[in-house]
Amino acid sequence: MASATVIEIRGLSKSYGSGTKQTAALRNLNLSVHQGEIFGYLGPNGAGKTTTIRMLLDLIRPSSGSASIFGMDIRDHSVEIHRRVGFLPGELSLWEGRSGQQIIHYVASVHGDSKGITKQADELAKRLQLDTSKRVRDLSSGNKRKLGLVLAMMHSPDLLILDEPTNGLDPLVQQTFHEMMDEFRDKGKTVFLSSHILSEVQAICDRAGILRDGDLKAVESIEKLMNVEFHWVDVQFRDAVPEGLARQLQQSSEISDVAVNGSRVKMRLVGDFDPLLRMISDGYVKDLRVEEPSLEDIFLAYYSDGREAR
Amino acid sequence: MTGIVFANTLRTSWKQILYWGLGLGLLGFYIAFIASSSDIIQGYADLLASMPPALLQAFGASSVEILRSSEGWIVSVFVSEAAIFLSVFAVMAGMNITANDEQAGIMDVVMSLPISRSSYILERWIGYAAIGLGILLLCAAITLFGLVLFGVDAQMDLVFISILNLYPGALLVMTVTGLLALIVRRRALAIGLSAAFVVASYVFNLIGGAASGAIADLMQGLSFFSYTQGEEIVLGNYDPASTLLLLLVVLVGFALSVRMFISRDIGV
Repeated sequence: MASATVIEIRGLSKSYGSGTKQTAALRNLNLSVHQGEIFGYLGPNGAGKTTTIRMLLDLIRPSSGSASIFGMDIRDHSVEIHRRVGFLPGELSLWEGRSGQQIIHYVASVHGDSKGITKQADELAKRLQLDTSKRVRDLSSGNKRKLGLVLAMMHSPDLLILDEPTNGLDPLVQQTFHEMMDEFRDKGKTVFLSSHILSEVQAICDRAGILRDGDLKAVESIEKLMNVEFHWVDVQFRDAVPEGLARQLQQSSEISDVAVNGSRVKMRLVGDFDPLLRMISDGYVKDLRVEEPSLEDIFLAYYSDGREAR
Repeated sequence: MTGIVFANTLRTSWKQILYWGLGLGLLGFYIAFIASSSDIIQGYADLLASMPPALLQAFGASSVEILRSSEGWIVSVFVSEAAIFLSVFAVMAGMNITANDEQAGIMDVVMSLPISRSSYILERWIGYAAIGLGILLLCAAITLFGLVLFGVDAQMDLVFISILNLYPGALLVMTVTGLLALIVRRRALAIGLSAAFVVASYVFNLIGGAASGAIADLMQGLSFFSYTQGEEIVLGNYDPASTLLLLLVVLVGFALSVRMFISRDIGV
């Protein structure tokens, strides 16, 4: 059964400046994020990730296109939407002179049900090992990030929008964060997170969109992205690499990135293995390793000019 | 509108009432001390009487006669100085409505909460307007206490009303600053333009009051200081239309601010 669409983006574009100085930050974005999934929004700095997120939260207005969250237009119903959304900005700024507790209390009172939310915040802070009695100016960047996560999650939102959530978090807390995201998804809630950390997206996301220079290049399930039709093949011969093999490999349309190192040959293979096995059969193959492409390989493939991952 | 932002504004900024109210109040207290000596007042009035009218205007009085009464002296000397100091507070308050949080990046967090932009700016504006009123009340209380303590024979109600009459001008400066900050976006530029607005108003009032003719009248008419009628209150010539005009400009300025804040991108 198809799950409900939580985020629906239709032809969203954003440009900054005017006239000849106009710069497109995002072009004609179409995207749907479904209930109960963790969606990874991948791309390097300046790709348009934060612009998308800020438009979804009605902080900035689209140049064209529209978007809805929970079926409500992001501009017309921003207050109702924000009631059900938790947000962590990429660059979190808070009132430096106020303590975590004071900020939690303020944000909780804006959400209503201050008592229940504050209690939930205490539990989250305990889990993330955050001392909320300290003033923001006395918190390290990692602890500020933790406070941001507490503020985003304490009112039990139905949708979390997180911009580079693990920036500055130590590995142990990152692990806790991953667990929290899994639990969040298990409750049927949705996460939209932007990241440039591929391993993180690979570890916790169900689907990912890859953004480049304001264009969405691909949206796929992580499983499918990981199942692209290329592999890294590493062949170790007992003796020297058979004569002419390197040239033969380079001439093959299905093999690229051939690197010979002593009695080893490494290459990128697209498609079936049989043609390769026939080519290397002249030598004595001591070892043959096949590596699945990492998300990073896929990412680079999408980003390499004129070539996309197959 | 929930009042939460308003309450939070007061909670985080109430100390400004103490700092500014005490500062201005001590100035009033000091003026009250001087006013306790009729010799000083008369000597001061005689000194100014021998000077050109423009200099008299620079000292905050339109005629020497008003300076000869205690309440007239207090209003002319103290209120005109307090108006300038209060303008500094008003510029800072205007920047605090939205600009400072926006510049610091805090607005991203605030505006992702379930609160509309119009409610937010309204509650912030009311919060700082309330702080401004608190400052004036504290200032008036300390000044009147000084008058009682030093046994100054002055009409307390007129002094009190004259001090409170600074409020519309302060609201105007605060609103203009808030609006400029929303338009120009750069904090330093907004402060500079607001300061220029206050200084230009002061200079226009000074020159317009000292000179005569259509241009001088126009200059004075363009200055918000000329609508602050401390002397008129003492002389019994108070014209509520001037105060209403200031409040009308405040209302229009605030309506423009709300419209601007609702329609623009935040933090870009």
